[in-house]
Amino acid sequence: MTTKLCSLLVLIMLFLGFTSNDEGDRLIGVWQPSSGKAKVKIEKIGTKYYGKIVWLKEPNDPNTQKPKVDKNNPDESMRNVPLKGYRMLKDFVYGGKDQWNEGTIYDPENGSTYSCEINMKDKSTLEIRGYIGVKALGRTDVWKRLEIKAN
Amino acid sequence: MKNLTLLIFLLGCTPLFAQTDSVNTSQEEEDFSIYENATPADGKNITFCNPKIFDLSPARFVSIAWDHQLPYEMNLSSQGDYAKGTSINNYNESAKVNSTGGLRLFANIPVISSNKFLWQLGGNFWRTNYSFADVKGPINDTSLIQNISKNGLTTFGLNSTVFKPLNEKQFLLAQFAADLSGNYALDNPQGLRFLRYSASLLWGKRPNDRKQWAVGLTRTYRTGELNYVPILLFNWTAPSRTWGTEILFPARAHVRKNFNARSLLLGGYELDGQSYRIGGISTASNRELELRRGELRFRMEYQRQISGFIWGSIQAGYRYNFSYRADYTEKDGTDFFRGFVGKQQYAMINELSGALYFNVGIHLVSP
Repeated sequence: MTTKLCSLLVLIMLFLGFTSNDEGDRLIGVWQPSSGKAKVKIEKIGTKYYGKIVWLKEPNDPNTQKPKVDKNNPDESMRNVPLKGYRMLKDFVYGGKDQWNEGTIYDPENGSTYSCEINMKDKSTLEIRGYIGVKALGRTDVWKRLEIKAN
Repeated sequence: MKNLTLLIFLLGCTPLFAQTDSVNTSQEEEDFSIYENATPADGKNITFCNPKIFDLSPARFVSIAWDHQLPYEMNLSSQGDYAKGTSINNYNESAKVNSTGGLRLFANIPVISSNKFLWQLGGNFWRTNYSFADVKGPINDTSLIQNISKNGLTTFGLNSTVFKPLNEKQFLLAQFAADLSGNYALDNPQGLRFLRYSASLLWGKRPNDRKQWAVGLTRTYRTGELNYVPILLFNWTAPSRTWGTEILFPARAHVRKNFNARSLLLGGYELDGQSYRIGGISTASNRELELRRGELRFRMEYQRQISGFIWGSIQAGYRYNFSYRADYTEKDGTDFFRGFVGKQQYAMINELSGALYFNVGIHLVSP
């Protein structure tokens, strides 16, 4: 009896997990911020969503002509890490109603990390709001989904 | 059955244990070239120009500063009618000003903030207290020195800024401000009919991430009196990312030295002025006295991050006063436009010597 109950609980947990994950997985894909300066691939690691830079309009530092690194990171040990491949969106959890929250967004231009909320306006459009403390103190950017064309 | 249950449980929990909370970089090898040709899924052009360029001094949400001018001389004429260009040989009042200064609070909060439209609303409060010594002249109810020594000067203001990108490179920038300035007390503010309005409208281009320029027209009180002047915005960052300019001519112009993403130095000037209604001392019947303060501040300002989004600034320089004249205005608050060629007479011709000054502030900066 105990075993059957355990199995039932596990199956319920898995069912709930998979159904909510399926909805949240709509975030997975390649997206472009409105500046057009980067492309960001959002993927899932465990139960959370992360976004890494996969393309830069200006991939090399104009001064060194070498691939851009995270030179503004407040953590000195991170300042030689290449920006391409850098995870700028971290720890997002799907909260339902087309909204992912509890995450952060990192701005390599100034080395700052902001609280962040993602809203999906339609399947190809995200509103990404970075803010300080309260959502009123923030800025919203619109990101568009990209399609990778086969060569 | 027990083994099957355990297996299902472990499989179900695998994502939880595999999760990493703080992964900064992708560990796996990836062919990034496949993203070169990625295009918008809905085929729409998505790019709008940003209101900022690289390495500008950070915009401020909230700012608390203390402004302090060191000793200088103040000489004031009596009230009367003075033609433009009149020089005064015998001033009616004079004094040494030991210090001038006070609190300057500022807040600017985004109401709508998206890549297509940015609208910010803000408010400011400036308090200016005067400490005098060696006052010479009549001590009576119409003495300006006596009055500002007792009441100081106060400004309450509201402002609104709109940034509208037209496309990837062009933008419109509009600013509006309403200021209530005078010798009023906080618990007894002067009438809203004495509000003074400023506005600017600019059209500009942002050709790349290091340059932004715009031209436009402004209605301003930065010279103390109402004026209409063309304006030029020119923000630029050198390819080295260590130098640049922050210019909104003629209001201010600075050269910027960026030490890193968390500290910078500005050197240049700013026009600083207000028109203050001085209640209770006008000697003209049915007319108000309005003090036109206009200053040119040559300065250096060092800004640096203190912690997170909290920045500090310290500014020091020389304050050159080019207007401390006064005008008579209407009782109903109506102001007039003299401009550069108007021949309206002044009510007072005053002179302030230059002074060293400093300003220290702490700021909550914007993303």
